[in-house]
Amino acid sequence: MHLLPVPLADYTVLSTVMFLIGVCGVIVRRNPLIMLMSIELMFNAANLLFVTYARAWLNNAGHIFAFLVITVAAAEAAIGLAIVVIAFRSSERVDVDQVSALRG
Amino acid sequence: MLALVIVLLPLVAGALLFLVPRDDARLSKSVGALVAATLVVLAFIERSQSWTWRWLTHPFIANIHFGPTYLSYWLVVLLTLCTFGAVLSTNVSRTRSMVAALLLLEGTMAGLFLARDLLVFALFWDAMLLPVFFALLSWGENPATAWRFFIYNFAGGLLLLLAVAAFGALTGTTDVIGNPAYHGIVSPWAPWILAGFAVAFLVKTPVWPLHTWMPPTYEATPAPMVAVVSAVQSKAGLYGFLAIALALFPSYFSAEVPVLVILAVISLLYGAFIALVQQNVKLIVAYSSLSHLGLILLAIASLDPIALRGALVYIVAHGLFSATLFIVLGYVEEREATRSLAHLGGLGWTNPRLTGAFCVAALAALGLPGLAGFAGELVILIGVYQGGYAWAVILALVAIVTAAAYMLRLLQGATQGPVRTDIPMRRDLTWLEGAAVAPLLFALLYFGVYPNALLGLHP
Amino acid sequence: MMLLLALVVPLAGAALCWAFGPVLRSTAGWLATVAVAISFVLVLLTGSGHAALFSWMPGFDFGLMLDRLSLLWALIITGVGFLIHLYSIGYMDGDRAFARFFAYMNFFIFAMLLLVLSDNWIGLLVGWGLVGLASYFLIGFWFERRSAVAAAQKAFVINVVGDVGMMFAIFLIVANVHSISFSDAFSAASSFSPALLYAICFALFIGAAAKSAQVPLQTWLPDAMEGPTPVSALIHAATMVTAGVYLVARCAPLWDQSPSAQMLVGTIGALTAVSAAILGAVQWDIKRILAYSTMSQIGYMIMGVGIGAYAGGIAHFFTHAFFKAQLFLASGLIIHALRNEQDVRLMGGLAKRMPLAFWATLTGVLAISGIPGFSGFFSKDQIIAGALAHGHPWMYAVGIATAGITAYYMFRLLFITFLGEYRGNVDPAQLGIKREVQSSVAQEPEHHRAPAWVMGLPVAVLIAPTIAVGWLLFGSSRAPSPWSRFFAEQFSPGLTSAPAIPESLTTIITFCVVLLGIAIAALRYATQPARTNAVARLRAETERMPKVLVNAYYVDALIDLVFVKTARFLGALFGRVVDPHVVDAAVRESAASAQGLGSLVRELQSGLVRAYAFVIAIGVGCFLIYYLVSGVGH
Repeated sequence: MHLLPVPLADYTVLSTVMFLIGVCGVIVRRNPLIMLMSIELMFNAANLLFVTYARAWLNNAGHIFAFLVITVAAAEAAIGLAIVVIAFRSSERVDVDQVSALRG
Repeated sequence: MLALVIVLLPLVAGALLFLVPRDDARLSKSVGALVAATLVVLAFIERSQSWTWRWLTHPFIANIHFGPTYLSYWLVVLLTLCTFGAVLSTNVSRTRSMVAALLLLEGTMAGLFLARDLLVFALFWDAMLLPVFFALLSWGENPATAWRFFIYNFAGGLLLLLAVAAFGALTGTTDVIGNPAYHGIVSPWAPWILAGFAVAFLVKTPVWPLHTWMPPTYEATPAPMVAVVSAVQSKAGLYGFLAIALALFPSYFSAEVPVLVILAVISLLYGAFIALVQQNVKLIVAYSSLSHLGLILLAIASLDPIALRGALVYIVAHGLFSATLFIVLGYVEEREATRSLAHLGGLGWTNPRLTGAFCVAALAALGLPGLAGFAGELVILIGVYQGGYAWAVILALVAIVTAAAYMLRLLQGATQGPVRTDIPMRRDLTWLEGAAVAPLLFALLYFGVYPNALLGLHP
Repeated sequence: MMLLLALVVPLAGAALCWAFGPVLRSTAGWLATVAVAISFVLVLLTGSGHAALFSWMPGFDFGLMLDRLSLLWALIITGVGFLIHLYSIGYMDGDRAFARFFAYMNFFIFAMLLLVLSDNWIGLLVGWGLVGLASYFLIGFWFERRSAVAAAQKAFVINVVGDVGMMFAIFLIVANVHSISFSDAFSAASSFSPALLYAICFALFIGAAAKSAQVPLQTWLPDAMEGPTPVSALIHAATMVTAGVYLVARCAPLWDQSPSAQMLVGTIGALTAVSAAILGAVQWDIKRILAYSTMSQIGYMIMGVGIGAYAGGIAHFFTHAFFKAQLFLASGLIIHALRNEQDVRLMGGLAKRMPLAFWATLTGVLAISGIPGFSGFFSKDQIIAGALAHGHPWMYAVGIATAGITAYYMFRLLFITFLGEYRGNVDPAQLGIKREVQSSVAQEPEHHRAPAWVMGLPVAVLIAPTIAVGWLLFGSSRAPSPWSRFFAEQFSPGLTSAPAIPESLTTIITFCVVLLGIAIAALRYATQPARTNAVARLRAETERMPKVLVNAYYVDALIDLVFVKTARFLGALFGRVVDPHVVDAAVRESAASAQGLGSLVRELQSGLVRAYAFVIAIGVGCFLIYYLVSGVGH
């Protein structure tokens, strides 16, 4: 426990708060860029937990997963931005609610 | 090895045919006819050699295993003969694609009949639907027909695949078709597996009440392809009953027999009566097929050895005459541009050779003594009677009388009566068109006089 | 081997005429005729024998057999067949399908020979079906006439009913004997139960009744007269329609053991004999008169073989083949000369114009009426006397009555056709004839190239046996007659008792009834006033004819109602109601319910990213709450 200067619960709370902010961002905002950022926020909330518990339990799997998540997040951001750019080119709007071509 | 060649040659040739220029009908037809003729020869030669390659060891043993059994030998011969006739008679728009589709159909069906492994069987079962499906999409008028055909049969195919998987999981191997050492499965799951197989076979045959895909499909498919489909593809279900249901599930199958007998008799009469009132010539033959295939199913369901012999004869006979009938109706349609009996008539004077071929095929279909249809019918009914279904025999005899009525109605409606002046006068059959049906007609006569030729090889 | 050759030669002739018809042209007729002649000689040379040929199916062996019964039939088929072929060369001359006609005729000879020469049930059935086919082709030979097409179809379908009956008999036999040969079935017959025997005989007799036009399967024969006249002579009088008689005689060992089946056959035969004879008396078409008389005479034969008087029934077949072929050929001479006119009301006075036809018809009429000295007298007498001897007095009575009616309508035919004035130029309406279209037939021969003797010779030749065979077979006073000695080993004599009425008295009674029939016919048609007033009288008779007889007892209408209409109704019911609205509706309903489910789920698929995110968040929330509440992990 001495490895963690701050109590474990605080990390968890911080992570939860970050995650909820991300969720709210995705749900509430219509700007795709902000939504992508919110998703990044949720990734990082998860990463924070991975790293915290890796330190707390002295298990390196958490670190490995954190790196994996960072990689995936980068890829996701790249693809996401590409989709956003294409969507904007065709409709020139900055509103995700206008992009509903997959409606059943 | 030869068995593998019979499966692969038409598949490869069919695929390569797409390299031929799109509108070179002559070249594609010659290539197709050459391949089909080669296959006829190969099919006759091929007697017993089989070819195996280990495919799966886990979760059960499955082999890519091809080789003829006694039954599938004749089915492949029938298939190659019918395909040869169909290729020669092809005269539709986009001839190249039709010939290619016919070859692909031949390859997939040869694969089905020659497969000695259930998994391979199931694979080709679905594969053989594709050429017909695409033919329906490209030549048929209504895509709904194509989808109806595909969904019906593919649903059957899925059940079949499930049943095969369950069979493999239970017994550890699927390499069991025509394996004399294999005496059948014993398991509480077996009835369910058998049911999966049976539904697929009943749809494909088809048998009442799973037949409603068949009339529109037969009507919409171009003549050369429907000739092969009705002659051979419909036999896949019956072959399945004989080679799989009966051989692998003997005790469970005999428990299901009463249901099958009833369905078979219903199909037999139902098809016959509907054929009696149709105006569309292709639908008359389609519904007559329902009736005739019901007769074969009755033979299989009676479980009598003589009836099973008769079933083999009638399977071949029905293939020969229904292929001929559909090819001939294709000729009629090309000449007169109609399928309605109300608009046909008097072909006997203008097209005597066409009428001759039509006549032999129709007479075989109505069970004229001396032609193969009669031999099959008679032996089937002798067996069914011995099997203890006298009531079914009597109803089948009613259907035979009805068959005489509707086949004569078809034949006379198209070829007799006054010569029509309101329809275009066309030339009689060319020698090429005649050559397409001549082998089929000869076989009808030969097997009718000497049906023992079909059974003589029997161990 | 010669037997096989006798069978194959007509088949080869048929194949040649069919394949090379356009090349052969008029030679086809001679080719076919020669083929039949060769066949006749071969049968005659063979005399008797048996040839095993090949195995039709494992355990089912196919062979040919020539015994006394089949010898008789084969000789009539090829002998009379030869004469009729010869005649046809003249009759069909100029027809545009001349070669095809002879192909069918030769094919018929082949099929009929196969029928009588087979030593097994399958061969019999194949021959049985193929003669039906030949008959179908020949009835519908002029197939641009709708009436011919309909008649051919009717004949074929009714014959298939018969085939199906025979098939059922074969199932019964094979299931019990496990062999298809006649001899196995006959030797096992004594071990069959009476019910089984009756069932076999009944089913076989369905076949016999259909082929021989017995009640209630008789309606096709009068319509079959749509075919060319030589066809009517060969197929629908002399040979094919007697196949039923052959069948019963062939299966005598079965019938002998089943008295109830014998009773059935005899009854049907007697019923047909009398009912057809009555109908024969109200016909106007010369060929239909002969058709009904054929039915009636076959009724005699069937009655004869049915009650066990085999020799008598077969004798009547033998004599009938000659005199009926002759009558038909003579009527063919008339029809040919009058350019396809068949209505006797438009004939008359032909005795002077066509002496050969007159004399041939006269001898034929005398023979069929049973005038002593002519062939029909001997054979008919055998059957009538046999009925009494075998203990069936009412059949005896029917036989005598029918003989009288026969004499009446045959002399009626003779008088109307040959006496009085020629009425061919009278307006048909004056005679009460209603015609929708003038029956101008497209087949009118244009050029007569064939020599005249080809038609005259067969008619003249047939007069000899019509008169003479009776004397040859039964004329000697010694008993038993040569005829019964010929068949002594073929048939068991059966149970006969000394008849209550001696045979000579029977002969006298019959003759009196026949004379009565002739007298009535003469009074109505041959007297001086009848001949001078012919037009008015015939018209009056036409108008007064009872409807029930004109419509042949409404049997056709009944069959149409009970079978044809029912089958069509079922077809329409299945095809237009059950298929689309029940079976397919079930299929469409299941498709529709899958679609309905899909459209329900589809509402969730809004396409809005934020909505999906919201749903996911709710889902995550639910999981969280679940974990918190259930305390998993503690």
